[in-house]
Amino acid sequence: MRLFIDFNYVFVWALLAVALVVIMLAASWILRPHILQNSDKTSTYECGEEPIGPARVSYPYSYFLYTILFVIVDVMGAFLWLLSVSQFRTTEAAVWQMLFFVLLITAGIGFALRMFPQTILSGKETLKLYREGKARRDSQKTEAAQQ
Amino acid sequence: MMMQGAEVLLEQAEFIGVAVIVLVLAYLALEHKEITYAVFFFGFMAAAVAGFYLLLEAPFLVGLQIAVYTGGISALIIFGVLLLPRAQDSSLEIFQTARRRRFGLLLSGAVMLLSAILAFFYPWSDLPPVSPPELAQSLQGLAAWLWSGHGIYVEMVALIMLTALVGSVAILKMMKAEELRPLTTESHPESAGKKDESGSSSAPQTETGEGAKEAGPE
Amino acid sequence: MLIGLGAYGMITKRNLIRIIIGAEIMANGVNIALVAFSVYTEVFTFTGQSLVIIVIAVTAAHTALAMALMLMYNARYSTVDLGEPVVSEGRRHE
Repeated sequence: MRLFIDFNYVFVWALLAVALVVIMLAASWILRPHILQNSDKTSTYECGEEPIGPARVSYPYSYFLYTILFVIVDVMGAFLWLLSVSQFRTTEAAVWQMLFFVLLITAGIGFALRMFPQTILSGKETLKLYREGKARRDSQKTEAAQQ
Repeated sequence: MMMQGAEVLLEQAEFIGVAVIVLVLAYLALEHKEITYAVFFFGFMAAAVAGFYLLLEAPFLVGLQIAVYTGGISALIIFGVLLLPRAQDSSLEIFQTARRRRFGLLLSGAVMLLSAILAFFYPWSDLPPVSPPELAQSLQGLAAWLWSGHGIYVEMVALIMLTALVGSVAILKMMKAEELRPLTTESHPESAGKKDESGSSSAPQTETGEGAKEAGPE
Repeated sequence: MLIGLGAYGMITKRNLIRIIIGAEIMANGVNIALVAFSVYTEVFTFTGQSLVIIVIAVTAAHTALAMALMLMYNARYSTVDLGEPVVSEGRRHE
């Protein structure tokens, strides 16, 4: 049988998933009381203070390396899975090839993880930078107060 | 193995359906004002392209596409968007020059024209219709081609992955050195990569305070 | 057609992330074309499919490095906007 006919059930399932989300959203929209919203009601809650600026925080850059590591491990896993379902995976040449491939990528991952502490700010450096920034801000405040 | 009438119709309807979904999603991924929506549309588009691979009798590629593209690369871009709060403002698209847009339309129109000529005027129907192998056999054939027949490509892929890892580690180290430099003398291209801890600069934690403060009056 | 969309996106967009997304869309279009070529040739070989596997892997590495470079750009110039092609002495020195 052609492949996509075998996978017909997947399409039906995808359609059902989309329909489920749409039905839930539509039902909640229907059942919601439609009251006029003003800017006071829809502003973000900040314990009584006025919110200044958009609520977007920048996360530490150190998490980015893990995402890259995941992508590389994913590609490696896909290649290895293809080898694992083949018929010649126990021949000598295939085993050596696979070993070389795995060793190369694992060496890369090991290098990345070994160098990982050098890519993020350590505790001492962060403390030093915070103190310098605080000193700079305090000196700016005293300058502004003197003017 | 000839196909019946209903199968041909279903295949054409499915092809058109998947093609429309993919094109709409790709256009939305590029043009939508909020970036977080755009990258999510890109992830969805990658899954729809996997539907294309189903039509084209490539079962392993379906899984590979969804795993690597939607699960990996899309997550990578979402992560990049997450790390950059400045990129999430929607005010950057107002200032497109008309000249650039015309050039872009011209180039992409030329590419599409070329592919349309290739698709319609090349005698595809003169080639005998090939019946693709079954599921298990196609996996075997693919593994045989890749690993044992042309195994050098796999090692090259390993080298490319190694390069990507080493490069990203180097770039992250350079970024850390950037953060330790003094903030007042930034944007100077000649002083790149210097690990200078003597000046005062802003750590990532205090950077968010300044980022929110200068986003307020904007 | 995906190739055309991706190329248009890469040229016109100023936000760097959208340029990267445009490169991805173009890569996807190329992959589909490759697999289509592999099906419609006389003898059914696995050339197209295997090449697509390799291209997907290479694109993954390329996107990772492109994102890292974009982060570097952001750290240097604190923006992700490319700006207009003005003939001047360089980026804004704010």
